[in-house]
Amino acid sequence: MFTGEEIAIYLEELEEKIQAINDNVLLLEREGGSPEVIQEIFRAAHTIKGSSAVMGYEKITSLTHEIENLFDLLRQGKMEVSENLVNVLFEALDALKLLKDEITGAGGGVDVSAVIEKLRSCRAGCGAGEPDAAPAGGELPPAPAADELPAGGSAYRFELELEEAVEEVVREAEVRGFQAYQVDIGIDRGCQMKGVRAFLIFETLQQAGEIIKSVPPAEDLQEGRYGEGFTVVLLTREDAGQVRDLVFSIAEVSSVEVRPIKLRSGEQPAAREAAGQQARKEANASPGRENIKTVRVDVQKLDNLMNLVGELVIDRTRLDRFVEVFESRYGSDDLVENIVEISNHLGQVTGDLQEEIMKARMLPVAHVFNRLPRMVRDLAHKLGKEIDFIIEGRETELDRNVIEVISDPLIHLLRNAVDHGIEPPEERVRLGKPRAGRLLLKAAYVESQIVITLSDDGRGMDPEKIRQRAVEKGLLTPEQAARAGEREVLDLIFAPGFSTASSVSDISGRGVGMDIVRNQIEQINGSVEFTTTPGRGTTFTIKLPLTLAIIRALMVTLGDHVYAFPLTNVLETLTFKPGEIQRVRHAEVVVVRGQVLPLVRLAHLFQEKSREEGRLSVVVLGSGDKKVGVVVDRLIGEQEIVIKSLGGYLGQVPGLSGATILGDGKVALIVDARAIVKETGVEDAALEMSRAG
Amino acid sequence: MDKGRGELQLVVFRLKEQVYGVDINHVLEIIRAAGVTAIPGAPAFVEGVINLRGRVIPVIDLARRLGLGTTGRSENTRIIIVEVGGATAGMVVDGVSEVLRLSPDDIQPPPAMVAGVSAAFLRGIALVGERLVILLDVTRIFHREEKEALRELSREA
Repeated sequence: MFTGEEIAIYLEELEEKIQAINDNVLLLEREGGSPEVIQEIFRAAHTIKGSSAVMGYEKITSLTHEIENLFDLLRQGKMEVSENLVNVLFEALDALKLLKDEITGAGGGVDVSAVIEKLRSCRAGCGAGEPDAAPAGGELPPAPAADELPAGGSAYRFELELEEAVEEVVREAEVRGFQAYQVDIGIDRGCQMKGVRAFLIFETLQQAGEIIKSVPPAEDLQEGRYGEGFTVVLLTREDAGQVRDLVFSIAEVSSVEVRPIKLRSGEQPAAREAAGQQARKEANASPGRENIKTVRVDVQKLDNLMNLVGELVIDRTRLDRFVEVFESRYGSDDLVENIVEISNHLGQVTGDLQEEIMKARMLPVAHVFNRLPRMVRDLAHKLGKEIDFIIEGRETELDRNVIEVISDPLIHLLRNAVDHGIEPPEERVRLGKPRAGRLLLKAAYVESQIVITLSDDGRGMDPEKIRQRAVEKGLLTPEQAARAGEREVLDLIFAPGFSTASSVSDISGRGVGMDIVRNQIEQINGSVEFTTTPGRGTTFTIKLPLTLAIIRALMVTLGDHVYAFPLTNVLETLTFKPGEIQRVRHAEVVVVRGQVLPLVRLAHLFQEKSREEGRLSVVVLGSGDKKVGVVVDRLIGEQEIVIKSLGGYLGQVPGLSGATILGDGKVALIVDARAIVKETGVEDAALEMSRAG
Repeated sequence: MDKGRGELQLVVFRLKEQVYGVDINHVLEIIRAAGVTAIPGAPAFVEGVINLRGRVIPVIDLARRLGLGTTGRSENTRIIIVEVGGATAGMVVDGVSEVLRLSPDDIQPPPAMVAGVSAAFLRGIALVGERLVILLDVTRIFHREEKEALRELSREA
């Protein structure tokens, strides 16, 4: 019935509106029901209802219908926001999400009747249940009384004023190829069963399309509470004549007038402001009204573009070489100068092109951040904590691949902060802190990186406790613990199998957390650090690359080949005389600034012939707490490289994380620095130890 | 246009004194063997990776893959770029000679072993004039089961 594309558009809108409701319900809970917030939720629910009805998703339609009814009462001040209401709303939201999964095939068999019942009882509980809100919302226009209607004989006609929300539904329906008609229906004066007639007309019209509004409201109509006629707004793909014939097929219909609804264009804010009280608020809040300025593109296409640009870059580098050759061979000839100019311009354009395509792959970090307030709220509820969760920099853009990876570690850190960081309200009051803990999540660009910080004003971490814990867990011997510095102790929280929580809760998991957090972040060439002050709070700082496709790397040679070390794992580079190498058992080490650094030879790891020339070049790699020096033939320098995978056929090759193409067209391999450190590195603490021992 | 249904076009190449053919539908292009970057730690039959217009493509040493030992490099050495199961890869051969058209009737099922090559890699054999052309099954050649990969790696170690 609907194409995949239409469903995709619908789902995207659904997602967006669910998010909007989510955000606003959070606001509702925190700040009470301001008219804007209530209106936003009402509109979002209404939009979902409209499009779901068109698409034929009944469960979503009826669920959002209930939400809408509820907010209509709130809007009119007939009901107050209560804690129970907010909880029920969250339940309804969860149900909505499940229903959405049902559409995408990720779930099924969702039963919404319980939630709908709860929503209804909320409405009933407020004592303002009657009269019920119209299914299509709107501000309950007074039902036209009989004596206001045109005198008998003439056709029933009504001047319909469309609310914002209805207009929106109409507009969307038009985009989907539906036409909206205003249908004025006159009923015989002598009609005895007005309710039944109205019901039949509704039934009939609903076979042809969807009724999104009626005046008077549907409930009144079905009770027979109307004058000589009524008006409905119908979305349909049938033409006006067919609609007319359909209605006339019902007995006791005296007149039918079908008029297509002409919407006011979006460029009339003045008229709009005069028309509705809420219009002012919405003038800048409805981007959907503007002409379409975006298109949806498959990520695969962007990846292909990226590859093509990569080819261009390489060809351009080659062209550069020819330019040099020409210059040296023919001097400052006119033609040569032309080529130089072309080559330079080409370089600029390809550079810009690369950057633009990169940007096109970026998404605002809001994609992850927007899901978090709800999670924090639920957690806080569960743990009996009060939390002010502030998010800054939602608009900061990240490569979509980075966004996918960052969500898990962030959730973990947040959970920790709520569970272990922020104290219960009573304790906070006792400590002279505000009742509600403050949690600030912030994203920003710093140089060529994205920095995400998460700070809380909770307990902070006590190095002494960690020290104690590390000994208990057998991570350190008492002697080691006594000797370790504060920073070293704190960084133990990243050690596998460490958890500072005195009790294992179902919130923060089972102490497998922080090492995995660090791992996930480092996998995308990011880093995570933290500072903490006991009693004052903790701040985690996550640094991420803007994109996964391009990294800065240290290029080295070994034998005939060039290898790249991702710069995020390179601590420093050193050179030694062969005589400086010492042997500890079977391992080679050097002493650097009083510390013993274990060495591995890349030639040995990769079974390649080395061409050492006297001095040894060493790349010092670090990951987590571990360090290792890798001996290579020669250091070339830093360079930005485009990461390419080795392809599915080769799969994971030990010691390598990918490949890149050099300026001369050759392929250079990227060293999996993290794996090398993991396998051959030695922990900092241990380095200290060996120095002491 | 097409002479008889099921007509088969083969890219014919030499490898270790033998003549082989692969279905032209798998073949993307044929390039000179140059600029191969060896991959440490990869199975022995993996020659390395090359830059194919901005893409990094794995290349195998076909002789080793078929268990025929190594083959020397010469002026005529080529890499046949093939597409198998959505992936692109290359195989090193001693030289490409021609494109042959065959009817399916010309192809006979392979014996258990031909010229030292296991039947697992073969689609069949065809007698073209005086010559015996061994038809390779490209999908089998680039199909690597986990087990096999592991075995290769442990043999390396």
